[in-house]
Amino acid sequence: MPVLTGLPGDFQDTAWRGRLEPLLAAGRAAGADLVEVFLERSDHLGALAEQEVITNVSPSFGMGAGVRVFSGRHDGFVSTNDLSATGLMAALDQALAMLGLLRSSKAFDGFEGLPPLTDHAAAKASWLQASPSLTEVAARLLEGTGALARHGSHLQSRRGSYSRDWQEVLVCASDGTFARDIRLHQSLGLNVLAADGDHRASVGRRYGTQGRPEDLRVWDPEAAAHDLCGSAATMLYADYVEAGQYPVVLANRFGGVIFHEACGHLLETTQVERGTTPFADQVDQPIAHEAVTAIDEGLSEGAFGSLSMDDEGMEPQRTVLIENGILRRFLSDRAGETRTGHPRTGSGRRQSHAFAAASRMRNTYIAPGPHTPEELIASVDKGLYCKAMGGGSVGPTGQFNFAVEEAFLIENGQLSRPVKGATLIGEAKEVMPRISMCANDLELAAGFCGSVSGSVFVTVGQPHILVDTITVGGR
Amino acid sequence: MSDATPTALNGEQLSAQLQRLAAQAGLRQWDLGASRGTDTSVQVDRGEPKQMKGAERRAVTVRVWNERGLVGITSTSDLSEEGLARALDGAKEASAFGNPEDIPAFSPLAKAPLQSLDQPMMESRSILDLLDRLKDAERNLLARHGAITTIPYNGLAQRDSERLYINSEGALRHQRLTTASLYLYARAEETGRKPRSGGAMRLAYGVDALDVEGCVAEAAERTISHLTYAPIATGRYTCVFSPEAFLDLIGAFSGLFNARAVLDGVSLSQRESLGEELAVPFLSIIDNGLHPGNIGASLFDGEGTPTAPLTLIEGGVLRHFLHSEATARAFGVAPTGHAGMGAKVSVSPDWFEIGPTPGQPGGEEGLDRFAPDGRRPGGGDLVVIDSLSALHAGVKASQGAFSLPFDGWLIRGGEPISIESATVAGDIRTVLKSLVGFEGPAKVTPSGLCPWVWVEGLTITGDA
Repeated sequence: MPVLTGLPGDFQDTAWRGRLEPLLAAGRAAGADLVEVFLERSDHLGALAEQEVITNVSPSFGMGAGVRVFSGRHDGFVSTNDLSATGLMAALDQALAMLGLLRSSKAFDGFEGLPPLTDHAAAKASWLQASPSLTEVAARLLEGTGALARHGSHLQSRRGSYSRDWQEVLVCASDGTFARDIRLHQSLGLNVLAADGDHRASVGRRYGTQGRPEDLRVWDPEAAAHDLCGSAATMLYADYVEAGQYPVVLANRFGGVIFHEACGHLLETTQVERGTTPFADQVDQPIAHEAVTAIDEGLSEGAFGSLSMDDEGMEPQRTVLIENGILRRFLSDRAGETRTGHPRTGSGRRQSHAFAAASRMRNTYIAPGPHTPEELIASVDKGLYCKAMGGGSVGPTGQFNFAVEEAFLIENGQLSRPVKGATLIGEAKEVMPRISMCANDLELAAGFCGSVSGSVFVTVGQPHILVDTITVGGR
Repeated sequence: MSDATPTALNGEQLSAQLQRLAAQAGLRQWDLGASRGTDTSVQVDRGEPKQMKGAERRAVTVRVWNERGLVGITSTSDLSEEGLARALDGAKEASAFGNPEDIPAFSPLAKAPLQSLDQPMMESRSILDLLDRLKDAERNLLARHGAITTIPYNGLAQRDSERLYINSEGALRHQRLTTASLYLYARAEETGRKPRSGGAMRLAYGVDALDVEGCVAEAAERTISHLTYAPIATGRYTCVFSPEAFLDLIGAFSGLFNARAVLDGVSLSQRESLGEELAVPFLSIIDNGLHPGNIGASLFDGEGTPTAPLTLIEGGVLRHFLHSEATARAFGVAPTGHAGMGAKVSVSPDWFEIGPTPGQPGGEEGLDRFAPDGRRPGGGDLVVIDSLSALHAGVKASQGAFSLPFDGWLIRGGEPISIESATVAGDIRTVLKSLVGFEGPAKVTPSGLCPWVWVEGLTITGDA
């Protein structure tokens, strides 16, 4: 069965250059400092299996454009589904009008046309066709829910979900940016609800990669189901955690969500612009314990947050955010550079053409340290071990919170009974100096991050870390 | 490269077009949901425009039944003839994977009369006009208190939108709306103290109808009220939920009333839960999308079923579930107007009315226990929960558990002091049976109508 797609043409078509160059020239002639156009074609496939049945298949496809005009520190942004020459010019007119500019008939000789296309997509043309067909997807999902039935007990609901997001983008700007890319993100989730009388536990895991069409085919449903059902069985009869202040050991992989929420967002220039980061004036000053080095990059092979170019056409970098506790860099995009002076880092990202790009994280993690995970746990007399994390968020004053999905008490340096219902809360400025030990077992995990420019694919990660004390919400 | 596509939804034209394309694809049964809209929005930062956005968007979902009667869908933003044909082909392909155990059908109410609702169409304003209005609002809010230094989150937006439902049996629903929204979220900081924040939001059918002054005043009051703060000791407290906070909590656990979740086995309710006592005897919850306070109400759901009020809890007893066509058929009742559109149709609430059950004492006996002192001087400790955060992370809907950060105050001896940082935790089933009573008149909010709600025995985790 063919892949559900079939969009006409692609952005390699040289006709696009002829449609876009007049747009950029017209914007500059109207007095804009910079005009940027982001074109997107997308093809999505979602599928859901429940118990032994495929219960939902939801394909979608679309096209759109985002036109952004800069004048001084200000910008206007217009998105449209109408990619005709008329539609794009109307979007430009609207964006210009936001800045009090008007397209004129005057010629503009400051824009000499676009350079040759920087084509990051050339080797990726087959990705969509090479990704699993719906038949394969359905079969793999049912293998997953079948494996859950074999490995679990008291399971009231077993779900497997798959999502494939293919995107072709073309970015051009009047500063000579002209680049194309193709992205392919696949993610697969397993969820169970276990119930026994009044005891209930819902547990989920999600796996995701970028640029690897084959990944679903090599996924091991047995191992995934074994891991998930083990967590469900552990948590089904767990007591609620007692609220209080504890030392906490956070496991590797998705434990990295604490850094993402507690600190990462505050190192985006969007937060500097808003005046909502406490770290705005602290470059080259200590903001974390010296055990902490933190990195954001878009380069790790296959990682969910990796990119060949960002959504402003810039190639990604490896950005050291914090080095041995010292703040080194902020993540910046085009607007961030203009408004805060922090140089661009290839971090301009957006969910789709409907959003203006903003400085966003990519693959963000705390670097490994010298300890073993066991050494971290052994250092705690009474505390909490957070094995699996749920989601979280950060507020406008830097307060963060996130839910713990699977946790154990630590007593006398040993893991003891499982506990549920924990929420970790705190403030970045206070908690970063309390990350006092990092283990040597860095691992990454795929996730989604929602913020000003929509939901984007990211990776979080860390080794096991010890936070000396943190507020744990519970019962 | 795409051709220009229609700038407005024409139901008759789209219906004829789909009929023709479906016939070409060998499809006899289909339906379609479409939407189109133009949005304009501005954000400001200390008197300067921060971001100005415009959007022209359209979307369509086609759903088809194949020769085996199985259902498939495809969605697209491409409303051209070519795009629609491709969407039909995609839906036909997807229908091969339709679930034979749960096949949606057309709603039997897809042609039933719609209730009328007064939804005035208001003129849109230029984006520079929006910018001036928001700058004024920002300036006014900054002037309310010296500690308010920025309004980091703000926005003024207007939308002109329309939506459509048509099917191969001749149903045709169409609704056009204008709406506007304003939000102001201020940050205040005093020397040597932590920054504090608070905000407010307003909705209306147009920018001219927005209560800007009210929004500024409420945002200022909420922000300033948090300036003097202290940590709270961990423990069990009687809590007073603001209307917004209680509506958020009920919304997060709306799976209790959701027939889809019941059938899927992920709801706290079961089929036989109808008629069970779920809450204190004076609680009523009605889903009423047609309430005049629900700005931008939908007149019909994703399957064309008319929106209508539905009693969920009355006298503390679970009375009805929210339904799509398929779940209603499974329960032997009529669809309730809460469906999305899909191969597996989602179900979701519209707008809650929460309050005392008519004819019941309304929880006043509960409040009488506190009335001699209550929030007045000399009373015991109370925690007022003004707003809840991070519901996406802190709610375990299928377990009934929640642990959520909140903004609020500890009231000790009648004096409120803002709580520095805390979470509230509990179980929704226990909460519903631990309501003490309602306080004050019900307030209209963007997500429903509700008075202040008193609840006993919730766990608060604080830093003290």
